Amino acid sequence: MTFCMRSYNFIYIIYALAILALSWLIFTFLFQYIAAIGSFKGVVAAWQDSRILSALWLSILSSFVTVFIGVIFGIAVAYIFAMKEFRGKDLVEVLSVDVPQTFPPVAEGMIYLLMLGPESPFHANLAFTFTALVIAKIYVCVPFIISFTSRKFREIKQTGMNMTARSLGANPFQVFTLIFLPLAFKDIVAGSALCWSRAMGELGGSLIFAGVIAYKTEIIPTFVATQATTLTVGALAATILVTTASTLSLITFKRLTRHEK
Amino acid sequence: MTQLKIENLSSGYRGKTIIKKLSLDALPLETLVMMGPSGSGKTTLLLTILGIITPSEGKISLNSENIAHLSIENRNIGYLPQDYGLFPHMNVQDNIAFGLKVRGIPRNEREKRALQMIQLVNLKGFEQRTINELSGGERQRVGLARALAIDPSLLLLDEPLSNIDQVTKYEVAQQLKQVFQKLKVPIILVTHNHEDAIFLADKLVILNNGEVEQVGPLKEVLEYPKSEFIGRLLRPFS
Repeated sequence: MTFCMRSYNFIYIIYALAILALSWLIFTFLFQYIAAIGSFKGVVAAWQDSRILSALWLSILSSFVTVFIGVIFGIAVAYIFAMKEFRGKDLVEVLSVDVPQTFPPVAEGMIYLLMLGPESPFHANLAFTFTALVIAKIYVCVPFIISFTSRKFREIKQTGMNMTARSLGANPFQVFTLIFLPLAFKDIVAGSALCWSRAMGELGGSLIFAGVIAYKTEIIPTFVATQATTLTVGALAATILVTTASTLSLITFKRLTRHEK
Repeated sequence: MTQLKIENLSSGYRGKTIIKKLSLDALPLETLVMMGPSGSGKTTLLLTILGIITPSEGKISLNSENIAHLSIENRNIGYLPQDYGLFPHMNVQDNIAFGLKVRGIPRNEREKRALQMIQLVNLKGFEQRTINELSGGERQRVGLARALAIDPSLLLLDEPLSNIDQVTKYEVAQQLKQVFQKLKVPIILVTHNHEDAIFLADKLVILNNGEVEQVGPLKEVLEYPKSEFIGRLLRPFS
């Protein structure tokens, strides 16, 4: 009986901790909307501000270009990771998938500034351009596509379906287009949704490598970063735009991965 | 009619030789069942014939043509893996017609051929069903129809009855045997189950440690096993 009571107490503590944590996380997200209620007119006016709209457009466009490039290269890398064994593969995977996801974006921006900035040893100055925005985003965002896609490709390979398809006469290209791609489609879309979401919120690399030039390289996160210290309504309006867009993208990702199960 | 001839074949993987200088013949209209304990090399031999594993030496000839150097897709071997390897994003008809599609055969021709195969394996009415809607036995028949649709020179089956429940196993095995009787190519089937082997085999091959321990017509191997090991393998409960 005592043991039973203790078990119930333990469960209540677990529930209480979970509710507290969830409330804090969700309240933090919702607070931007609550704050916007107080200055609703200012926020709506800011949404019509041409500088914020330009930043939003550049954020969305650069994120889509990142995903587009990411899908093309990410699928190729994922296929190699899933299908080929080579010396040093673990290290290559860590450096190209795991490290970029945890790398400090500011450091990444610094590296690109040195590599492709005004002092570039390759004589390719791309700093403070739209291209710089995309390059900065690619490094931290595309690994999401690679990891999702390679995981699914590995699953397919483990079933041996690729070999069965080849025994039926399919060449490696046909196996890739008729087996791997359709079966991994949802995972590619899910990885792309995460990639896009991450690209929308990417700050450090863009700030250092692409700079904050209004109407040219200023995106929502860099706009917020430069405005937030003075707590402007514009910064709040921009925050709402980028977090809402990212949230919608993540909900799409969740729905896709849930459907997969 | 095709004849399979394996001569002095050695193969394995990860630097380990599993099949050791093995020689074997399979004739048309003949179901050759390979039996042996785990690790005896049954599946390795099957995958070497199929082309997934590259042999270190020896010849695999189909109609006197050495196919050991050919890539998998050019061997024209029908293969039914243990889990049937059906493509879950295609329906029954598309699964069966897959081998014809990748060969560039026009749609109407491949539909016609797929329907012939569906009839052969008694799955009429199942054309548009997804793989998830099929039972184990039905999946096995789809896999078999798909392997046969390409008009193979040889048919390889890896444990075709291992995923079938005991209640329907006899019925499924009988249907399998009926299909085999209509084929004009050599059939090589791998199993570790002595009942499946005795029911389906015309000729029995007993493998042990990557070598052929005994080969011969079913009745002969059953009545005159060459060793106590083979006797135990074929009659484990006697």
